[in-house]
Amino acid sequence: MLSILLTFAAPLLAAPGDDFFETRIRPVLAEKCYSCHNAKLKSPFGGLTLDTAPAFLKGGDSGPAFRPGDPASSLLLEALRYTNLRLKMPPTGKLPDSVIADFETWIRMGAPDPRSAAPPASPKPSIDLAQGRRWWAFQPVRKPVLPNVRQRHWVRSPIDAFLLARLEAQQLTPAKPASKRDFLRRVTFDLTGLPPTPQDTSAYLNDNTPQADERLIDRLLASPHYGERWARHWLDLVRFAETNGHEFDNDKLDAWRYRDYVIRAFNEDVPYRQFILEHLAGDLLPRPRLSRDGALLESPLGGGYLWFGEVLNSATDSVKTRADTVDNQIDVTAKAFLGLTVSCARCHDHKFDPIPSSDYYALAGILHSSYVREDVVDSPSHSGIIQAHLLKLDDINNTIRSLRPLPAPRPSALRLRPGDVLFEDFERGAFTGWYASGAAFAPGPRRQAAPNQPIHNYAGEAMASSFGPGSDRLTGALTSKKFNMPKLWVHVRMAGSKGLKSGKEREPVRLTVVADDHKSEHFVPTGKGGWEWVTVRMTKEINRSCYFEIVDRSQNGHIAVDAIVFSDLKDPPPTDEPPPGPATLEAAIAHPQLASLQAQRAAVEAAIPESAFGMISMDENPRNVRIHLRGSHRNLGQEVPRHFLKVIAGDTPTPYTAGSGRLALAEAIADPSNPLTARVFVNRVWKHHFGQGIVRTTDNFGKTGEPPTHPELLDYLAAAFVENRWSVKQLHRMLLLSSAYRMSSEASEAAARTDPRNDLLQHMPVRRLEGEAIRDAILAVSGKLDRTLFGPGIAPHISRYQDGRGKPKSGPLDGAGRRSIYIQVRRNFLTPMFLAFDYPLPVSTIGTRGSSTVPSQALLMLNNEFIAESARAWARHLLASQPEAARRVDTLFETAFLRPPEDWEREESLAFIARRQSALAARPDAAENAWAGLCHVIFNSPEFIYVR
Amino acid sequence: MSVSRRQMLATAANGFGGLALLHMLARESQAAERKPHYPAKAKSVIFLFMDGGPSQMDTFDPKPRLTRENGQKIPIETPTTVFNISDKVYGSPFTFQQYGQSGAWVSDLFPHTAQCVDDMTIIRSMVADHSEHTAANYFMHSGSGFQGRPSMGAWVNYGLGSASENLPGFIVLESGLIPPGGMDCFGSGFLPATYQGTLFRKGDHPVADLRPLESDPTLQRDKLALLSKLNKGVVRRFGQVSEIEATIANYEMAFRMQSAVPDLLDFSQESEATKTMYGIGGKLTDEFGRECLIARRLVERGVRFIELLSPARPGIDRWDQHGSLESGHRINAQSTDQPIAALLKDLKARGLLDSTLVVWGGEFGRTPCAQFPDGGYVTRIGRDHNPFGFTMWLAGGGVKKGLVYGATDEYGYFAVENKVHVHDLHATMLHLLGMDHTKLTYYYGGRNMRLTDVHGNVIKDILA
Repeated sequence: MLSILLTFAAPLLAAPGDDFFETRIRPVLAEKCYSCHNAKLKSPFGGLTLDTAPAFLKGGDSGPAFRPGDPASSLLLEALRYTNLRLKMPPTGKLPDSVIADFETWIRMGAPDPRSAAPPASPKPSIDLAQGRRWWAFQPVRKPVLPNVRQRHWVRSPIDAFLLARLEAQQLTPAKPASKRDFLRRVTFDLTGLPPTPQDTSAYLNDNTPQADERLIDRLLASPHYGERWARHWLDLVRFAETNGHEFDNDKLDAWRYRDYVIRAFNEDVPYRQFILEHLAGDLLPRPRLSRDGALLESPLGGGYLWFGEVLNSATDSVKTRADTVDNQIDVTAKAFLGLTVSCARCHDHKFDPIPSSDYYALAGILHSSYVREDVVDSPSHSGIIQAHLLKLDDINNTIRSLRPLPAPRPSALRLRPGDVLFEDFERGAFTGWYASGAAFAPGPRRQAAPNQPIHNYAGEAMASSFGPGSDRLTGALTSKKFNMPKLWVHVRMAGSKGLKSGKEREPVRLTVVADDHKSEHFVPTGKGGWEWVTVRMTKEINRSCYFEIVDRSQNGHIAVDAIVFSDLKDPPPTDEPPPGPATLEAAIAHPQLASLQAQRAAVEAAIPESAFGMISMDENPRNVRIHLRGSHRNLGQEVPRHFLKVIAGDTPTPYTAGSGRLALAEAIADPSNPLTARVFVNRVWKHHFGQGIVRTTDNFGKTGEPPTHPELLDYLAAAFVENRWSVKQLHRMLLLSSAYRMSSEASEAAARTDPRNDLLQHMPVRRLEGEAIRDAILAVSGKLDRTLFGPGIAPHISRYQDGRGKPKSGPLDGAGRRSIYIQVRRNFLTPMFLAFDYPLPVSTIGTRGSSTVPSQALLMLNNEFIAESARAWARHLLASQPEAARRVDTLFETAFLRPPEDWEREESLAFIARRQSALAARPDAAENAWAGLCHVIFNSPEFIYVR
Repeated sequence: MSVSRRQMLATAANGFGGLALLHMLARESQAAERKPHYPAKAKSVIFLFMDGGPSQMDTFDPKPRLTRENGQKIPIETPTTVFNISDKVYGSPFTFQQYGQSGAWVSDLFPHTAQCVDDMTIIRSMVADHSEHTAANYFMHSGSGFQGRPSMGAWVNYGLGSASENLPGFIVLESGLIPPGGMDCFGSGFLPATYQGTLFRKGDHPVADLRPLESDPTLQRDKLALLSKLNKGVVRRFGQVSEIEATIANYEMAFRMQSAVPDLLDFSQESEATKTMYGIGGKLTDEFGRECLIARRLVERGVRFIELLSPARPGIDRWDQHGSLESGHRINAQSTDQPIAALLKDLKARGLLDSTLVVWGGEFGRTPCAQFPDGGYVTRIGRDHNPFGFTMWLAGGGVKKGLVYGATDEYGYFAVENKVHVHDLHATMLHLLGMDHTKLTYYYGGRNMRLTDVHGNVIKDILA
């Protein structure tokens, strides 16, 4: 007995420290640590388990917690002492000093730990890609043959066969065709987001040929309003917004160009494959697509979508801020194009889909290697036209210079003080380290001011000047590489046209410090006509990731920069300033020819065409990133090469080494063999026509999404879409010229009983219009709709119920009559009417909007001034165009509902008018008010905002 | 909804204002009351949001060491702050005193609130994740630092439904200041729009689109009468479509809201003593006093979640005193202290405090180190943002009375004892309302989302 006990006890007693561990250390571990750090957890915190000796010794994600005998280097003690800013343990509060001293003693003793047993086998789940690929969405698309059906006469389009086969199997009969009027209203809203015009209506109702539907659909697809409607659907997917949100809601200056690009792309039926390539790599395509008029590069504009997310205006952690931006880019890209929730793999392997965390960081590397800049998107031919003008300008100015040679200028000297760092003085002869865009700054720094350039103290220094060879009309941008802001003060020696003093990115000429993608500080010339120092304190920018951009977007202004200096001192460095000379060089030239040369020059200047700016993605410093363990940028794992998702690209995907890898990624997404891309897109189009997707979860084709209700139909559509060269308009035709789409919205009793979700599509659903379509319809019927296409957004109307930082100046109540897609999307000041009707917040991909019913909708339609004003406009229009009251009611119903009133409706309406007119008899506008009341009631009818 | 009820509606959808079935439909559309996971202590929450971040060591967490070492370099490692401020300690310009049976310390900023410490749990060990206002505001409200997540008031109404028949379940009262991040602080995110916060502005017309266009009410009623007649035809033509029926019923609710809100704001039945207690009519206290009194009246009307925003004061940027801490905090406190104390006393006197959780705090606290004048924005000493340790307090609704919980280090920079993370606060709030924060979920973006994401522990130590 005794010997047995000794045998067992010997190892314990042999080490005197064990007792110390058992009494001083183990109870603390058990009470304070095990709950987060035990081997039974699927993912123990920090990868650290403390409940077995070997695991404790091994450490966690951040390495060993201690080395036995060496308390000085122990991460564990740092954490316990709360001296490490990033790691304080236990998180519930610091342990008493005496306990921490015990841990130190124990480590010094050699960390005796009698607990045996190896840690249980790592519970870390590894993703089985082969198994994951069996999920239907990762299987290749195979075009099925059309199923056999009994009622073959019902099959107008291939889609009908698939739907009918299922209905017949359930003994259900498709709903009878909708009336011509209902069909006209449905398809017009679906394709253009507007109600049919009276001309459309009479053309279609009077067309009794078998081709009437086809002609109608072709006409609607050719309407420029088709692109507006479908662009808005697309904008939902890319969380389109025109401001940065966060504290001050600053502008994303060129976001509207992207919106117009999408509208044009739909209208021109750009193949979806091309559209994808442009989104991810439009700046990298060897043969970029041009706009129809040849003036614009279209392709690079697609890349703007990466940058519509929120932007912090005062980040305290550049690395985390960038990681968050990239996360949003991955989230949107994966959901919009692939219907996958890849961003779930930021912190760990995806819990449901075959997406390891390493795949997430393979994509993250691509996006970390990309950034956005303000770039001119003139086509080569458009740039050529500008260049031709510049040559003429140069010739004229050289002639002016030759009229009276001026003495060689004496460059001014910059006297840097200790601690001053010259970032740039442009004396190297080229824009090394800068990217020049547009005609203004190119081709490089200038050593000669143009004779008409107003710098009265110019003395021959090299400068970056947007005056080009001699005109304020030139525009462009000059962007530096990224750097960490090293000093508290930045001094810029600059000259140029007077700014707006807005302190914002809308300054037409400016040098801007962009800190963590936020246009943070602006240096703006005062317009005094000579070199001067402009100084800004880098209070928030110091130590953050920054770059400079020098921008001239003014048609009648310029900026010139001589030097950029970082400094510890508030005052700029001294310069030997030459005495001020004449306002311009040519002001000192008195020559009989001067006036005529100036007139020639003015004519050339006036003919210089405008340039277009866009939000353009570009590559910078291509690099792989390391896995962020548990999503933390402070806890880095192994480096991952840039590549596509393994579940699609195979277990050993080809690493991307050319540039950022965006072009290769674009090709992988747009590859016809990609099982997701075409399926996801055709499903989105289906959803907008039939109310719900074949896959209901339009943005999630993974395991947590819903499987397709008609898998063969989905594959048929995907395959046909690719065969039809990714033509979106062909896809519309296939869906719309079907018996299914032609059905009425009346459910059969059997269908209502056996298929309440209408999964089998026995009838067409009744759908509510989106807020934008309701607004557009109100404008259209009341005669206020301005059908102008494109251009910078209209400032949203701001009511007194909207407030907060960055509140913009209010736009007109009626949005100037423009369609809703042209109302600026200001992230922090979204339009209340749209929000009331389930407008998607611009934060992530939304392929399926909600359709809620909330009192704010009824209150808005009843009491909002825009609705009331539109009702008055409509009433005035009716009163002026239709003298007879009963006919007026008919017109009103025809316009709003596309049907004449029933007799009782006409009578009730006229009785209402009579009552209201007599109640308001004393008022001069009694008639208008009474009819406006009726128009207002019509706006409030469910028939106005629902389509069947 | 059953087919038979719908059929009844289809035949009876006419008389506006008198139909019980329409009323029931309206309640369905407004998310009628639902059962909690377990018996609740609190029925409503009043969140007194001190936008900008009040300083913990100048309010409820005295740090004598700051006074002793005023102007000296702080001897601990400090994190990057928004303004990259100095490392010099700044002693509080305010004096502290102990109050009540519990002996809790409160600075002379809050002489009135100090009288209520025996009803409060003061948490001195709050921790948040973000140093910038906007992210911190989103985080405090939604448990995420990004725009677009549901605010806690939306979650509460999603979980419990509204107990009010004619008012929204989540109401935000303001007096001229919307926090950075804007209305998204009170949004419904991916939850249905029904649950979003409704902003009540100060003044007679607090809610957008609530005032009828016609000054003569009979004119609007006539419009609604015609609408409901025409709707009969719509129901017949469209058939039994629940969305259409809900839309029709929705007008009933809207109509009732039009009169419920003026009724809410009509203080004529409140005694002069009550109004005086709240500071209504006071030079600095009038605005927040009104917010607090409206809050009590909203609690009485069954509104689940009421958020009060601190009032705008000329020349003072919320509680965000990067400079002029002393005068800025003083005026903010003078504007809110008396009304808050009145609210607590009034709720208690009416027996409502036990079922109402009152929460006070900002999106973060402030640094113990000084932000010195910089020749521009800052003209007198202030403090920068500090999410690593700050104070909030709770009262009523099932929390302990007279408790001071948790602690920061001797400089007040970092929470070191019984840390309470914002996720924990959210978990505890939901617990008091009868909800398990791990079970209150909404499926979005491929997974079940929660107010507490994958975090949060109920702080059992502070439950009564």
